[in-house]
Amino acid sequence: MAVLTLEHVSYIYGEGTPFEIRALDDVSLSVREGTVTGIIGHTGSGKSTMVQLFNGLEKPTAGRVLLDGKDIWAEPKKMRDIRFRVGLVMQYPEYQLFEETIRADIAFGPRNMGLSQEEIERRTKEAAAFVGLEEALLDRSPFDLSGGQKRRAAIAGIMAMRPEILVLDEPAAGLDPRGRDAILEGIRAYGKETGSTVIIVSHSMEDMAAYCDDIVVMAQAKVCLSGTRDEVFANAARLADVGLDVPQITHLMMKLRARGVAVPEGIYTVEAASAALRKLFGKGHTV
Amino acid sequence: MMKEPFIHTKDLCYSYSDENGLQQPVLRGITIDIAKGEYVAILGHNGSGKSTLAKLLNMILEPDSGELWVAGQDLTSPTLTEDDFYALRRQVGMVFQNPDNQLVATIVEDDVAFGPENLGVPSAEIRARVDAALATVGMTSYARHEPHRLSGGQKQRVAIAGILAMEPNCIILDEATAMLDPLGRKEVIETVEALNREKGITVLSITHYMNEAARADRVIVIDDGVVIMDGTPREVFADPARLLAAGLDVPQCTSLVHALRAEGVALAGDPVTVEECVDLICRALEVI
Amino acid sequence: MKNIAFGQYYPAHSPLHAMDARMKVILSVLYIVAAFLCKNVLAFGALLVSAAVLLILSRIPARIVLRSLRPLFFIMLFTAVLNLFFATGTSVLISFWRITIYVEGVYSAVFMLVRIIVLIFGTSIFLTYTTTPIALTDAIESLLSPLRLVGFPAHEFAMMMSIALRFIPTLMEETSKIMNAQKARGVDFSSGGLVKRAKALVPILIPLIVSSVRRADELAMAMECRCYRGGKGRTKMKVPHLRIVDFAALACMIAFGVALVYLNHRGIGYTM
Repeated sequence: MAVLTLEHVSYIYGEGTPFEIRALDDVSLSVREGTVTGIIGHTGSGKSTMVQLFNGLEKPTAGRVLLDGKDIWAEPKKMRDIRFRVGLVMQYPEYQLFEETIRADIAFGPRNMGLSQEEIERRTKEAAAFVGLEEALLDRSPFDLSGGQKRRAAIAGIMAMRPEILVLDEPAAGLDPRGRDAILEGIRAYGKETGSTVIIVSHSMEDMAAYCDDIVVMAQAKVCLSGTRDEVFANAARLADVGLDVPQITHLMMKLRARGVAVPEGIYTVEAASAALRKLFGKGHTV
Repeated sequence: MMKEPFIHTKDLCYSYSDENGLQQPVLRGITIDIAKGEYVAILGHNGSGKSTLAKLLNMILEPDSGELWVAGQDLTSPTLTEDDFYALRRQVGMVFQNPDNQLVATIVEDDVAFGPENLGVPSAEIRARVDAALATVGMTSYARHEPHRLSGGQKQRVAIAGILAMEPNCIILDEATAMLDPLGRKEVIETVEALNREKGITVLSITHYMNEAARADRVIVIDDGVVIMDGTPREVFADPARLLAAGLDVPQCTSLVHALRAEGVALAGDPVTVEECVDLICRALEVI
Repeated sequence: MKNIAFGQYYPAHSPLHAMDARMKVILSVLYIVAAFLCKNVLAFGALLVSAAVLLILSRIPARIVLRSLRPLFFIMLFTAVLNLFFATGTSVLISFWRITIYVEGVYSAVFMLVRIIVLIFGTSIFLTYTTTPIALTDAIESLLSPLRLVGFPAHEFAMMMSIALRFIPTLMEETSKIMNAQKARGVDFSSGGLVKRAKALVPILIPLIVSSVRRADELAMAMECRCYRGGKGRTKMKVPHLRIVDFAALACMIAFGVALVYLNHRGIGYTM
């Protein structure tokens, strides 16, 4: 079932000025409940604008944003409640940390929700656990941590609000492989254990392939492809048209098929590729 | 005969004192030689000390101990004058991670002129250098633009032009592509590769994108302040376990070959690109 | 946010745009002096005409320059009203209740208004509309450089100004990003009393300050890497040259000043 829907949404920056930019142009899409949806596209394709429409930070110039079938702009005064339900982690969220301790910073969102002290503490601990921040770190100042730890703390700050939909704009940007994997695993764990819907904006096809059920491809302010991961990656030519690439491993599998090697379609991870090839090599050709 | 190295370090150590006054070692004896014209990728997870190394090479930081030579000059020599210092610094340009925090001027061409202006180059020559540098990075048509309106990749290319205008022998990219999208990353990498190939500029690229490292002549892996691997991309990626232990990755192709081998499939060679991997697998299957 | 034009520079090809920024700074100072020289209807009339001439020479649409008057509307109104009601004189225009308006009051209100409008017009045409902020900064550095002899850091001052100009758009963008990030965590900037609203600024200001310090740090390092060592031994790519147009403009300005003094003595009507 669709939990979040955009209906013919357009968004124009600086309407009526010489700088007018159409960031989104008649975009319709729906996000299935309980899934991990990836949004891919180049800078300027409209994806960062889109995530700010999801939680009402921006208001569509035309069209409607529906959460559980209800227009989020029906009662603009209650927008805060929408933002607690649709948690948004912006790009480089570590720059929003401001409290004296990590613990207080993670608790900031829940405090704004007006929760009880016990509930706030419970959620803070739980969120820190999702992103793998140890208890001992929580009483340190956010400014003493490494870049990757700060990022995790900032993401935990949104998770602690326990949003039904967790939206993350480039959560792994600029991190090293270890930091990237830790964060993406934490996000996956949050989705699984709380049953929440997760939306991840990313440039990395490899990450998308490994973590997402559904994928939306944005190009020139429009949705250019959307569907399940298999449906989208089956369309490598269309992806190439908008300057995007399938994961390296998928690319490799396609080349092998072109050379007549009978590997199946729909392989996006090293594990799947290895399993498929293992079958072809058969028993007799092992050392 | 081995060419005289452009950069030479031996047992280079650096530590900083933390808030409790304790010495925290960052580099614990780095020994490397980098020849003129080499394209070297330096890999390491965050906090491994790779950025500190870059800052030592550019004399932003001073080493605690060890040898450090750049362009035939001993940087630790007490007889180094201020003029020697700037003459050396000019030769090693740095491009930093955040494109916004390294552009000084409100107009692109003025920013590119900043370096030569600091060096006291005559006006007419600055103009010529700025125009040439912008042409080299393909930003001529943006000469009169404001930097804050450019894309990340364009800003980094302007930063590279600013370094080129100082006529360097070496460019260090300190995670210069980390904040860019794939297109921006490609712009920057292609620009730097062309400089290396066509102008013979030595390039040190600090990165954690394995696909970028796979394109270098040589990969140096730093972990916990020491060099743990040093060789061609093929040699370095041949040991995924060691890279993973250092908090790094290998390209997907390489890890596929290793996964198959671990399952007992006999594959000879260590491919680092898709093409090499396709050839290797096809050859192995034809043998069947 | 990215599209907020900082400063009001209006690109066009005009003799005013082509002039040396240093001369424009000098001319605006002289123009301010001229505006204060005016004493009577004739002189103020000439001043208005000169503003119109400047506008035409600058090739900037009048509505754009007029827009710059808008924020000062209340100051202008206040000045005019003050002069109207409080100036005393000899010939009474109207008198009611405890208020008397003199003819002199009307004159002085109109004169003050003209003076303010022309001052804003003149300086903004010279300094902001036809001169880029960076050219202005360089001009100020150059004009202040004699003060180096008495220890004034002219170069550092100009470098500071130009870095500020460079980073204003970046910091504005950053502010809006941080605001959005905190709104996403339930900060409410638009409701509650003064104390609550002031408190809501803390989550904006701290990250903004932290990030500005970090930026300053990184920028300083980047500048060092590019061999910056203050004004010492520094050259410039763009060396400004005074040309005939600059001297011609200076001559016009001086002639205009002389003309105003002359007109001040051709007393018609009220003299300030």
